[in-house]
Amino acid sequence: MLINPAAKDLKAIRELELATGETISDCYQCGKCTAGCPASMDPPPSVLIQLLKLGQFEMARNAESIWSCMACLTCSERCPKNVSPAAIIEGLKNLHLRNQDPRVCLESMSRNFLAHSPQMAVVSGFRKFI
Amino acid sequence: MSEKPVRIPYYPGCTLKTKALGFERSAMDCAEVIGFEMDELKDWNCCGASYPLTKDNLMGLTAPTNILVEAEKRCQKEEVDPNLITLCTFCYNTLKRTEYAFQQDESKLETINAFLDRKYDGSIRVVHYLEYLRDVIGFDNVAKMVKTDLSKYRVAPYYGCLLLKPKKEIGLDDPEDPVILHDFLDALGCKVVDFPGQVDCCGSYLVMREPEKVSQLSYDILAEAAEYGAQALVTACPLCQSNLDKSQSDETRFSGLDGVPVLYFTQLLAIAFGLDTENHQLEDHFIDPRPVFAAAGADGESD
Repeated sequence: MLINPAAKDLKAIRELELATGETISDCYQCGKCTAGCPASMDPPPSVLIQLLKLGQFEMARNAESIWSCMACLTCSERCPKNVSPAAIIEGLKNLHLRNQDPRVCLESMSRNFLAHSPQMAVVSGFRKFI
Repeated sequence: MSEKPVRIPYYPGCTLKTKALGFERSAMDCAEVIGFEMDELKDWNCCGASYPLTKDNLMGLTAPTNILVEAEKRCQKEEVDPNLITLCTFCYNTLKRTEYAFQQDESKLETINAFLDRKYDGSIRVVHYLEYLRDVIGFDNVAKMVKTDLSKYRVAPYYGCLLLKPKKEIGLDDPEDPVILHDFLDALGCKVVDFPGQVDCCGSYLVMREPEKVSQLSYDILAEAAEYGAQALVTACPLCQSNLDKSQSDETRFSGLDGVPVLYFTQLLAIAFGLDTENHQLEDHFIDPRPVFAAAGADGESD
């Protein structure tokens, strides 16, 4: 892995910190977030944060696992350093969504889902994926 | 009750008016028995369902603030305590966190007010129905109103996530080791089944994108609850209810598990109060809870 990050990546990580209100360097990699994560994320939250600590912005931003976060907030609640991995993950997702890169296609959304799921799932899903 | 019932402004949210009508109706019927009235706001909008987790997304607070303004104007006009009662955990979480955000940082309120037609003064306190029962009515008093013997039923509380987290902002109970639903079930006279999965996530809105994962998470929770002896689960969240209940339609995954009904806590409260539950949509659940509670006097066929 390249441990000599590009200036643009460091800038993007600073912007991510500003956007989320989180201080990524506070993380000391105890792994409690990953241990409690129910989403089977790969890479898991602690690794995503370590990537950011190492300046590997693009690897974190493009990790498919960020889309599996359910914002259950277990990671944020258990962090002994008061970092919110869920907020950092949402910040990464927002970079895609604000760049017109949705992760759910309306046309192919299952009819079963639309017919039977509660409205709150639809509204939340729109916020998180579109 | 000889005294006039207390009227509390009530915010239902979108799901309570559609897929979770039984939650609202059972809550209202029980409130009548307990002696308060949930007075629905006249002009309300969707709260946005998910509270924005990033600091730069203040715009996400306009919808919940618009609801808080409506409640504030109502309370000022009617000269009642500035409370707003909710049932849905997503609504509760979003409104409560908005309340907290303004308490912590008034400049956020100023910014949001710049977008709204009516200015919000920040006076409303958001209260969950369960919280109201615990803190204002008292579970001991609820227990005195129970008419149906539920002592032979083993019921597991299922909390999920958003009723409790983040603790600093919600403050209803301990998110890792909560007791509020345990105490509620205890007041109803049930055998309370304490199982580890009670605070595990059901998969939430991931049902839109990864329904298979939600189905597996739901299976893990329900299988564990059943292993601990639960005959039914109670929850306060319409999305948890939907995920846990509807996932059981996957016959292959759930082949080794008998159906576990998942009720809203107010639906069980109505059964405990001996109310007519015909309008509480128990029959709409994928796993019908009526056979389990038939002997307790819930309407429906007994098995």
